[in-house]
Amino acid sequence: MRVVVGIKWVPNTQAVRFDPRTGTLLREGVPSIVNPHDLVAVEFALELRDKYGGEVIAITMAPPSALKGLEHVIGMGVDRGILITDRVFAGADTLATSYVIAHAIRKIEREIGHVDLAVFGQETIDSSTAHIGAQTASWLGWPYLYYVTKAEPVDGKLIVERTLEDRVEVYELELPAVVAVAMRSRKPRPVRLANKIRAKLEKPLIIWSNKELGLDPRCVGLRGSPTVVAKITFTPEVPRKKKIYRPRSGDDAAHWILKSLLADEKASKILRRILGGEM
Amino acid sequence: MGSIPTRFDVIVVGAGPAGAAAAYHAAKRGFKVLLVERGRGAGSKELYGGRIYVGPLRDVWPGIEKEAPIHRWVVEERLSIIGDGEVATLSYRYSNPVSFTAYLPDLTRWMVSKAEEEGVVFVDEVRVDSLVRDGEGRVIGIRSGPDVAYASVVVDAEGANRLLLERAGIVDALDAKRAPIALGVKEVLKLPKGAIEDRLGLSDGEGLSWLIAGTVTKGIPGGGFIYTFKDTIAVGVVVHLGHSVNAVEAGVLKESVKDLVESIRLHPYFKRLWRDSDIVEYGAHLTVECGLDYMPPHLAYDGLVIVGDAAGLLLNLGYTVRGVDLASYSGMLAAEAIAKAHDLGGMNAENLRVYENMVKESFIYKELVRHRGICWLTKERRFFTSYANILLGILSNLYVQEFKHPTVFEAVKASIRSGGEALLPLIGRILKVVREL
Repeated sequence: MRVVVGIKWVPNTQAVRFDPRTGTLLREGVPSIVNPHDLVAVEFALELRDKYGGEVIAITMAPPSALKGLEHVIGMGVDRGILITDRVFAGADTLATSYVIAHAIRKIEREIGHVDLAVFGQETIDSSTAHIGAQTASWLGWPYLYYVTKAEPVDGKLIVERTLEDRVEVYELELPAVVAVAMRSRKPRPVRLANKIRAKLEKPLIIWSNKELGLDPRCVGLRGSPTVVAKITFTPEVPRKKKIYRPRSGDDAAHWILKSLLADEKASKILRRILGGEM
Repeated sequence: MGSIPTRFDVIVVGAGPAGAAAAYHAAKRGFKVLLVERGRGAGSKELYGGRIYVGPLRDVWPGIEKEAPIHRWVVEERLSIIGDGEVATLSYRYSNPVSFTAYLPDLTRWMVSKAEEEGVVFVDEVRVDSLVRDGEGRVIGIRSGPDVAYASVVVDAEGANRLLLERAGIVDALDAKRAPIALGVKEVLKLPKGAIEDRLGLSDGEGLSWLIAGTVTKGIPGGGFIYTFKDTIAVGVVVHLGHSVNAVEAGVLKESVKDLVESIRLHPYFKRLWRDSDIVEYGAHLTVECGLDYMPPHLAYDGLVIVGDAAGLLLNLGYTVRGVDLASYSGMLAAEAIAKAHDLGGMNAENLRVYENMVKESFIYKELVRHRGICWLTKERRFFTSYANILLGILSNLYVQEFKHPTVFEAVKASIRSGGEALLPLIGRILKVVREL
């Protein structure tokens, strides 16, 4: 089967800092990485290919520096990468992004071959919308399922499991379909020497600008994005009192916590209200 | 995926200043080169103080002064002796600077980009697990997880922590307590614009190197350093690893060597220099202390040459530390030697020992031998405790007087006596240091 997996090139949010005065992110000098939840999706796609054959194509819409990210997933074993890059795509919200991704998938179908499945990560670490999978499926008119943990092709259909908080659901999806893979559902495989050498020597990379995609400029980039970010607010960290207590047992820990809470006027009031007569 | 070519002329392990130079010069001579790096991107595993001597690098990297990401040229050296309450500082201003500060990962990325321009295949995020040898013990490639890549010769540029050479049985496993190895720990502080110039008396683009000795290392042989970058200052310590381990075990250090960095950062004499700063980075790395004692038995074997820190090519004189230039230079020599061995008929130990001879005839080895004697200083605790206090005592005897001033000799004598040392052995030791330096 041919699987397309979408990846996002994101600033490493653990290294990004926030300027509380201007309300903007300080991204200067912060290295970008492949969205870690997308690496889980890549692993999911590679497991399907390893088991059932076919190929995995990684696709990303990003500035040219994202070629490093495509090289990374090719290092993991992805067969080829497609970078969609053009100034007209800049400033896109999820709607405009998914529009481009969906049309790129159509183009893959026309020029490379039939696509059976499009796979996305559950969400991104820099915006956490979890929109792209659903929106792409909607543009393509394909069935969509999220929080997916397992998939198995049976008789031209895909048997898919998704894990919710209190149950596991099993679905039968008509192919082609779109799935978003549950974060942390599997560990992405490490990069391999042979794959990395292949990435460098064979350069299995395709770059598409809007010249190749030919999309209406009103539907992409900033112009195609109805989302307005009105304001970003910053929740300052409240200084907390810190104490370290090394309990001898669970009971000991519970006693200590209770004693500490009762010693605090505010906390003990709340505690007494909650527990009422039991105190 | 069986079609992936995994045969190269040269495989270089480690994309630091040594590995990048070896790869660049080998590719320039027409060899097909693979450069493998464990970290994400070239130089991402590196950590050093901050200063690089440019002389030898001009030969290795043409255009370095124009193209490389240089931060500041070091126009002033300072040396401070810190006692329990007092500070003595000596400073020297150059007429022509000979070294610059740079972020080593940035500089290394520049070096690797030069190597890639010459056709080097650079792969990062790949850890090499072992050298691959044939039945006769010749190195024929590298292994990484399930993959093997072959080459006529492997250049080991893995750095001071030489796991590959240990696994290959070429060097002994690192003995933390006895190895001639130091531990460097540093913090990078970001300062408001213009603060570095104002507070340190520097002009635009001018830099300063500041070494700190005395009680700040709590008796552990070593010292502190301060280097200036564009808008940051690096502050750190380099201390003998074995003594540090002992100090932690004996409770002299509460947690680790980072306590010492903090004691410099928060020292009343220094902390005013970086008030309103943010710590933007911190890290630690092993470094070679006495290069000759760390050198493997040979620098070349069948199918293998060893360059940079892994070869022990680092010069630590106490008042200057040189590694990046020596490493890069050794990488260039390795590439020249590989070309010569190729002309001689193959990459066997005999042909590749040309490299060993080239290193021994170069300034690198001559410097290491010339300064070998200074290594004993790293084991001499007194220089870092009582002697520092004696020197400061002399100065305080000279300056801190309300009615009468002593002669210089009286001040010296009084200070030595109160430090519990005898005059003659002390003079003997001082002469020894002067001679070795």
